[in-house]
Amino acid sequence: MSDVGPELPEDEALAAEHALGVLNARERAAAEVRMARDQAFAADVERWRERLSGLLASIAPVTAPAGLWPRIERLLAANDNLEGLRRRLNAWRGAAAGAMALAAASVAAVVVLANRPPTVIEAPAPGHAALLNANLATEGGQPLFVVAYDPDRQALIVTSLVPPGADPLHVHQLWLGEGEGKMRSLGMVEPGKSKAMPMPKDLATLAAEGAQLAVSVEAPGGSTRPDGPTGPVAAQGKLAKI
Amino acid sequence: MPRIAAGDRAALRQLYDATSAKLFGVCLRILSDRDESEDVLQEVYLTIWRRADRFEAGRAGVMTWISTIARNRAIDRLRARGPLAYAEAVEDLEIDDGSIPADALLMTAEDSGALSRCMSELDDRTETVIRTAFFEGVTYEALAQRLETPLGTVKSWIRRGLLKLKGCLER
Repeated sequence: MSDVGPELPEDEALAAEHALGVLNARERAAAEVRMARDQAFAADVERWRERLSGLLASIAPVTAPAGLWPRIERLLAANDNLEGLRRRLNAWRGAAAGAMALAAASVAAVVVLANRPPTVIEAPAPGHAALLNANLATEGGQPLFVVAYDPDRQALIVTSLVPPGADPLHVHQLWLGEGEGKMRSLGMVEPGKSKAMPMPKDLATLAAEGAQLAVSVEAPGGSTRPDGPTGPVAAQGKLAKI
Repeated sequence: MPRIAAGDRAALRQLYDATSAKLFGVCLRILSDRDESEDVLQEVYLTIWRRADRFEAGRAGVMTWISTIARNRAIDRLRARGPLAYAEAVEDLEIDDGSIPADALLMTAEDSGALSRCMSELDDRTETVIRTAFFEGVTYEALAQRLETPLGTVKSWIRRGLLKLKGCLER
């Protein structure tokens, strides 16, 4: 009995290890994906972060360099969150009365959400139907997928913010809500990739403002049902005008 | 936080004034380098600006949330320095008593009461390994290599240490 003591349940041990930071890159990414689809696990991780954050309490404050705030302030506009971005886009739309290019919309949204360096957003081109955009997030609010839909071309661009290789045992399937609890598959989305998908002709009328989009986590091959996910829904969101 | 999420710069400024010294201290503790810490601190507040709408009041305190962002960013930067950052000799790890780098010598406070007491109840080896993992983001593999100890053994030290910490904090 010398070296064998009681242990944390496996799931909680993993949550604690993730909060502590001892997992390697692959395990970390897998834990992030799991947090997105497993609320109990995410709550365990948060509780462990809270417990361990006591270690930071011992660190004495050090006045930050005087020039730092002005630098941050200059960068704020380029780093607006989705709300801020939406407001600015609306202002531009008022001026240009058009929709912005599909690629720019997708890239801008992804830049904002994936926390990459800011990108200059191109001026809107006039004469097109309004683009729709959806930010598919977990229940905890973490964005996992960004969808931009161009009704003119009936094409979607889906970008996965899930780290590549995070969950090799599952596939991520994109769904469009059909009403009455039914969903139609739009195809698979690969972790870390951006992909253009045609909107099936018979679904084009469904892809309107307010339409529900969801991504489920499925065994390879996808859901075994034609009218909805078999696995858990990891993220969802609604199409909205940008 | 809701004001920041709505794009209120004055609210972010208030948060900055109230917390930047603390977070700068955290970055310095992890990175031991002023320039890098300043870069990371800048990223941290830009992240808060972008993500404030994702903050969930029910789940974590504001301070925990933003300190976790600061620690994770600093550790990402540390890891980005590459394998050299992990090439420390074993003795370096063993003499690491959790002391602070020169830049943060103002440190006086103890770990927040309960956690401090619980950390000190662990055996020295376990306490050191947990502190090293927390402040340096060192993976199990790297810890095992540094300590020249089998991975499974290191893992079991840490897991049992974490279990003891949890039990102690709940007392």
